[in-house]
Amino acid sequence: MLVLMAIEDMLGDLGCTSITVARNVKTALDFIAANVFDLATLDVNLNGTRSYAIAEALKDHHIPFAFATGYGEHGVKEGYGDRPVLDKPFSQFQFEKVVSGLLADGVHPPLAV
Amino acid sequence: MSDKAAKDQEQKIAEAEVEEFAQELGPFVIAAETTRMAMVFTDAREADNPIIFANDAFLKLTGYDRDEVLAQSFNFILALGASKEAIAEIEAAFADPSEEGPEIHYRRKDGSECWASLFVNPVKDEQGVVVQHFLSLVDTTRHKTAQKNAAMLIDELNHRVKNTLATVQSIVTQAVRNSQDPEAVRESIETRIAALSRSHDLLGREKWDGTGLHDLVRQALAPFRESEGRTERFRIEGENIRLSPKATLALGIAFNELATNAVKYGAFSNEAGTISIEWTIESKPDGRWLCLHWRENDGPPVTLPKRKGFGSRVIEQGLAHELAGKIKLDYLPKGIVCTIHVPAPQAVLDG
Repeated sequence: MLVLMAIEDMLGDLGCTSITVARNVKTALDFIAANVFDLATLDVNLNGTRSYAIAEALKDHHIPFAFATGYGEHGVKEGYGDRPVLDKPFSQFQFEKVVSGLLADGVHPPLAV
Repeated sequence: MSDKAAKDQEQKIAEAEVEEFAQELGPFVIAAETTRMAMVFTDAREADNPIIFANDAFLKLTGYDRDEVLAQSFNFILALGASKEAIAEIEAAFADPSEEGPEIHYRRKDGSECWASLFVNPVKDEQGVVVQHFLSLVDTTRHKTAQKNAAMLIDELNHRVKNTLATVQSIVTQAVRNSQDPEAVRESIETRIAALSRSHDLLGREKWDGTGLHDLVRQALAPFRESEGRTERFRIEGENIRLSPKATLALGIAFNELATNAVKYGAFSNEAGTISIEWTIESKPDGRWLCLHWRENDGPPVTLPKRKGFGSRVIEQGLAHELAGKIKLDYLPKGIVCTIHVPAPQAVLDG
């Protein structure tokens, strides 16, 4: 919980105007289908389930994303080796670097959701 | 000869060979028959290494009857349930028996999965020709299962440690953001880490199976009740509902924030104030909800804070996001009321 709040603060520092949080696969898929996002961070392990269905949806909707994991880089499944990985705990500096990278890759112009 | 007649003939030959064994070797045969280690003799003079002797332990290990096994190729028996890799390993063991037998993964007759260490030894006659193979198998299924469980536990442990470190980092970052005063920063970090640690204590006591809500509330308030006879100034009412580890950690932090605030500004900052915490599970059209109320009374008159601090952010936003709930902090003149509504499936075990 506090980790999420810290991420929200970091995003706020970077000028983010809107943050949506999804706690499980279904909610995330619903959000992705109904909204436009500039980027996403995805926990590999979401409440006990692996979140690769969400990764697929993000890929299909061309939303740049990074994995967040407590399992280290080897925790990320094959086929997603090209995605940036934030290994918890990560510093603000690491976070900013990854987010800047994702925004640079992004296809959409920044939108407030 | 027909196939069946040929098979019957082979079986008779196999049984006769076993009979011959028994007569020649006496006590060794009894040992081989009664030992709990699975043992098999195969005929090396036949291409497919048919089984000519199988002890009871082998039948128990594989789940087959003796007449299903005798005269069958050893490969065939295990091939009925073994993977291609296992079969290749078995054949390699026959071709070149070494010290380390392969560990094979196979299925018993009833389909259950097993692991066994296979040792293959050639039996030579006086001329040094290999006439038979002696095989022994050690069931390693339990060991393999224990190894897998251990690996999973270690993985889970690493994951939890990382999460805890990330939480502590957030605590530190927040404390530094919210105050310039080193003393205030230190206190903020210490008390929050202590609260986190207490929640871990509670979880650890029950092997991370979950905790009881009543236990959690009591424990979150424990550091605040010892001094000045505060015990009577609490009222906790509700069943000891089982909470998930996630809800335990989140609510533990939230209760700590509420209690800290009560001591600094609220019902515990004067002599007369009291706090009542009570909860129920309610069934609503959209499902079951855990409804908890934290009500402060008779503290100093409440004034609306000019700036919402980290504590209220944790309660109103952090907790709401974490448990998909609806949280409200009302600054009523007679005392703070915090209403926590969380969908039971998010927080309650078997909710």
